[in-house]
Amino acid sequence: MSLAEERTRTGDDSRLAQSAAHIKRNRRAYLLIAPAAVFLVAVVGYPILETFRLSLYRSPADSTIETFVGLQHYVDIFNSDIFYRLLWQTGRWVAVGVAGKTLLGLLIAVHLKGDIRGRKFFRTAFLIPWGIPYAISAVVFRWIEHPQFGYLNAILLKLGVIEQGIGILGSPDIAWLGVVVADIWIGTPFMAIIFLAGLQSIPQDLYEAAAIDGAERWHQFRYITLPQLKSVILMATLLSTIWTFVSFDVIWTMTGGGPISTTATLVIHIYQVGLQNGNLGLGAAYSVIGFLLLLLFAVVYLRVYTRGGEEL
Amino acid sequence: MAGHDEGGLRRVRVYGMLIALLGIMMFPFYVMFSSTFKPESEIFSAPATLVPSQPSLGAYVDVWTQTDVLLWIANSFVISLGTVVLTLLLAIPAAYSCARNDFVGKRTFLLAVLVVQMFAPVVLIVGLFDVISRLGLFNTYLAVIVPAAAFTLPFNIWMLYGYFKTVPVELEESARIDGASQLQVLTKIVLPLTKPALVASITYTFLYAWNRLLFVLTFLTDSGKYNIPRGVFSMVGALQTDWRMMLTVSVIGIIPLLVLFAFLEQYIVAGMTAGAVKE
Repeated sequence: MSLAEERTRTGDDSRLAQSAAHIKRNRRAYLLIAPAAVFLVAVVGYPILETFRLSLYRSPADSTIETFVGLQHYVDIFNSDIFYRLLWQTGRWVAVGVAGKTLLGLLIAVHLKGDIRGRKFFRTAFLIPWGIPYAISAVVFRWIEHPQFGYLNAILLKLGVIEQGIGILGSPDIAWLGVVVADIWIGTPFMAIIFLAGLQSIPQDLYEAAAIDGAERWHQFRYITLPQLKSVILMATLLSTIWTFVSFDVIWTMTGGGPISTTATLVIHIYQVGLQNGNLGLGAAYSVIGFLLLLLFAVVYLRVYTRGGEEL
Repeated sequence: MAGHDEGGLRRVRVYGMLIALLGIMMFPFYVMFSSTFKPESEIFSAPATLVPSQPSLGAYVDVWTQTDVLLWIANSFVISLGTVVLTLLLAIPAAYSCARNDFVGKRTFLLAVLVVQMFAPVVLIVGLFDVISRLGLFNTYLAVIVPAAAFTLPFNIWMLYGYFKTVPVELEESARIDGASQLQVLTKIVLPLTKPALVASITYTFLYAWNRLLFVLTFLTDSGKYNIPRGVFSMVGALQTDWRMMLTVSVIGIIPLLVLFAFLEQYIVAGMTAGAVKE
């Protein structure tokens, strides 16, 4: 009997018996997924619930006394200027970061696609920025952007772009750009690798036909590559949006959210409020807002991922 | 002839572009490596020099004698290997069960696992803080290993699930007839056949645990348990930072990863593309 039949059988008292029989028959299957399921519920599921609960309490980290405050934290958040500033700063961080990663990744992938000698070498080299600790990438970029001894200033001075060294990460106006450059550098390899795999799955005869028709290279890119790559680009930018949104290590190591909070994003603020200042309740409320935004992305992602009702 | 020339020109352009892009992407590494070979007087001179004028290994000697870099590396290994073991112990049975059985709740389980991957640790950190303290795990390696395993589990389950499905059931059945136990079937037949997936899983998990700062930053305050990212982070001073030492520690901290990349690049790529590109 198939699962569907089993489930559509009606009759309330027999349903319980049916379920019991089903569980019994698949006991081993359930036992094998149980450890992973229990683990995820305990380490991910429970903290989610705990975050929701905490968001309704005033709960200092250094005390065991919790005071129920209802939705007060949310009211405070929505009435505060900082929240809207954070949304704006998070938005520009994600938009510029994802755009940069996508364009640079696409540029690399398109050039790696053809019959390239030493492709393995190139691919490995391009991959490395993605695979090393974010904190290390962050300090290297801090060093490059160092106001006195940094390489960037040295180069800009030599080219005559600037007359004296600038302190990028200390300047409230441009510090976020100094950080987003590092994040783009870290996130580009993933995009490049994904796009390369996508490009390689485009049937070659499409290009051959276009070449016979005398299509320009730009037209080939515009009318064959981009449409064929659409779903891969969608998936990759969606994942990248999520990862850029929750990017913590880089910002934390480069600026800690400063100067005057101009590089802080929502997740940086969660950490500052909840763990640095020890205001677990307010931090949890910010986390819940973060959840909801992530959930939005996740729903879109699952829609795209399971599009067409494919079998899992 | 004209066509040939055009092809040649195009090749030059493609390689030129690749090398330019590689130059951009490698520049930070160049800065990192070249800085570590500069003597102290040169590294702190403005403007920065592109090539060390008097290369020296002094920074490596100093780091060896004056920092805990060896301890941080050792801790990184403990954390990474611990995470790999815990994740695989949980992921292999779950993935195998889903690949071999059709049961109510399987789809829900697999989708729920996918959603977990979306829930980045940082938005959970306040709740996790609570769990870790209730479990009394503060300042133990497990405080980092447990959350790292949870957040690598989704990738591992999906990766292995996809591969386990490709192993023909008939192979397993005949082994069972020959008297092999189910565990033997798994370890002697299924796992060897899915080696690429296992290697991809292990490398992904290893890298994840090696690279992340957040959990160590939050749950390990004992500096004797710092890993490489946390160690590097601890060298960032509020007023003064010893850049020379810090960059040298960074170089040492990524060497194991470079070795990993050199040997396992294809598996890493297979793992990265598994989720986003559907054949």
